[in-house]
Amino acid sequence: MNDKLRAFSGQIVAVVIALAIGAVIIMLIDESPTKVFMTLMRGAFGDQAKIAGTLLQTTPILICGIAACIGLRGGMFNVGIEGQLFLGGFAAAWVGFAMPLPPGLHVVVAMTVAVIAGAAWVSIPAFFRTRYGTNEVVSTILSNYVAVLLTSYLTIFLFKRPGGWSETPPILATAYLPELFAFSRLNWGLIIGLALALFVAWFFRSTAKGYSISMVGSAPKFAEYGGIDVKRQGFMVLLASGAVGGLAGGIETLGVHHRFMEGFAPGFGFDGLIAALLANGSPIGTIVTALFFGALRNGSLLLETDTNASREIITVIQALIILSVSAQVLMKRRGDSTAGERRWKF
Amino acid sequence: MKSVFRKCIIAGAALAASIGSAAAQDKVSVAAISGYFAQGFGITIVDGLNKAKSEFGIDLKLVDTGNRALDYEEQFANLAKGGQYDLIFVMGWELVDALTKASEAYPNQRFVFIDGVLDSDKIIYANFAEEQGSFVAGALAGMIENQGSSFDKIGDGKAIGFVGGRDIPVIRNFLGGYEEGSKYAAPDVKVNPVFAGTFDDPAKGSELALALYGQGADIVYNVAGPTGEGVMQASAAADKYSIGVDIDMCGSAPGNVLASMLKRGDIAVYSLIKDEVEGRKITPGTRTFDLAAGGVEVKICDDIAPSIPADVTAKLDEIKKGIADGSIKVTRHK
Repeated sequence: MNDKLRAFSGQIVAVVIALAIGAVIIMLIDESPTKVFMTLMRGAFGDQAKIAGTLLQTTPILICGIAACIGLRGGMFNVGIEGQLFLGGFAAAWVGFAMPLPPGLHVVVAMTVAVIAGAAWVSIPAFFRTRYGTNEVVSTILSNYVAVLLTSYLTIFLFKRPGGWSETPPILATAYLPELFAFSRLNWGLIIGLALALFVAWFFRSTAKGYSISMVGSAPKFAEYGGIDVKRQGFMVLLASGAVGGLAGGIETLGVHHRFMEGFAPGFGFDGLIAALLANGSPIGTIVTALFFGALRNGSLLLETDTNASREIITVIQALIILSVSAQVLMKRRGDSTAGERRWKF
Repeated sequence: MKSVFRKCIIAGAALAASIGSAAAQDKVSVAAISGYFAQGFGITIVDGLNKAKSEFGIDLKLVDTGNRALDYEEQFANLAKGGQYDLIFVMGWELVDALTKASEAYPNQRFVFIDGVLDSDKIIYANFAEEQGSFVAGALAGMIENQGSSFDKIGDGKAIGFVGGRDIPVIRNFLGGYEEGSKYAAPDVKVNPVFAGTFDDPAKGSELALALYGQGADIVYNVAGPTGEGVMQASAAADKYSIGVDIDMCGSAPGNVLASMLKRGDIAVYSLIKDEVEGRKITPGTRTFDLAAGGVEVKICDDIAPSIPADVTAKLDEIKKGIADGSIKVTRHK
């Protein structure tokens, strides 16, 4: 337990530093930090609707975070979750409006297609990674732009609902992911996300396959020497990560929006990646960090209406957290003999 | 006895509350929500709100929606729940879904949609007579084209062009007015319309405009949002003329912008708030801001104005007067 606490102490310090600098910035714009933080809390947890709103914001961050965790554990930095989310979202919506199916089955089919779409999208950078050793960070980032614009194209030119905004027709009611409460759009997506986090945590902790993936992630040469097909496994890790990214998109369109809109959910892929990094790639930890970011996001919406501070202060705080976490990582590296040097020489 | 006492307290509290709210009624509170306050048409709305604030001392709250669809409903609820705003102005079609839901969840909250007319009858709509402004723009373009090569940068004088963002009803309304205006003032000039299919692609706008110039159109009317920025740039590249839309675009390509068809969001917002402050409560329905009310207007660019022939200016004034008094009927295209 003590070890675990130590492992996360850096993250806690990072959050404290970020909040402190955030408070200074708030004072600079002539607003009281206490008022801002109280409003944030009220906006995030003020009543049952607010709590549900926070959980609603948490859901996509959590699922994208799990997608990132799978990659990080297997030594693959999937920065393309954003694009996988967009394609998954579009694919699920397409099944939702274009393919009448009986209730229940419809949701399952739409979700499955979302998962396949996410995996298929990441399979291109994954192929180049395993076949030619292309850096997956660059190729997955670039695939985001293509995915966002591709879904825009499909929405505007092929499937646009006549009149109104650039969106597809609404999905059929049979494809709705059921809501949990009458007073909120919070839906089964949250339960799916939590179950998935637990499953992935169990998979890495208790299965041989999970162990071999972690091994490749932490010591690829050693794992290869031990007889693991590193390339094949890297491909499968990226595929699984992309599949979960697609699922995140499917849950958003089937559970919340009930249609696909051009540019419907910008930034969730990156928020998820940050949540996973802040949790050291632990799926259970990601539940906590995703909830933290979800609360910040939902709280910030009330911040905008009830104080003079801008909603964007949250983006600033998030960025400060990332900066202080990465600064610590760099400092640790420098302290740790020649680890950094070896990394570059390799 | 005890219950009588309690009733008295409740009655007292209710009285205090009603006095409190009556006092609050004196000051009009306005909120505005949109993701576009920093650009084009959104800027004119902020101008109108600020003008109303400095003149009437209203309470004003601006809320930026950002671009995450997940946030919109929560933001509407945060604004409407307290009931402290008399009017909430809304701009942007991506907010329509959240707006419709909020107007049903908070039936006592009055929302003003400043971006067209929707189906719901619970909302107040500020509607701009774009067809009238476009009629004047079309008449101007037609008459300048008619001057032929005697006018700087004009070729054979046979055609004018139009670049629309998407082929949607509101853009058709601009086109319809433009065609009617051109036909009215210069029956021999042909109008060549094209649609970019997107509002967000300046490169496409530029490409389409250059194609129109290449086909002999000398003046192109841009109704395409950011795509239209490319149209303005193309007019400079081809050294022909463009007509801007929504806001004053004369600065985008000085010397090549003939005029701008302004949609005066500031006038609409200001006059709605003025009515509210002066006790003429605004009720759900459509309020049209037309040429006569100053809601739309064609502004000829200062650097071009001196070279416009006097007979063209006179004819334009006559047309404006005709539209205002109803003697010239402009069709509203839906």
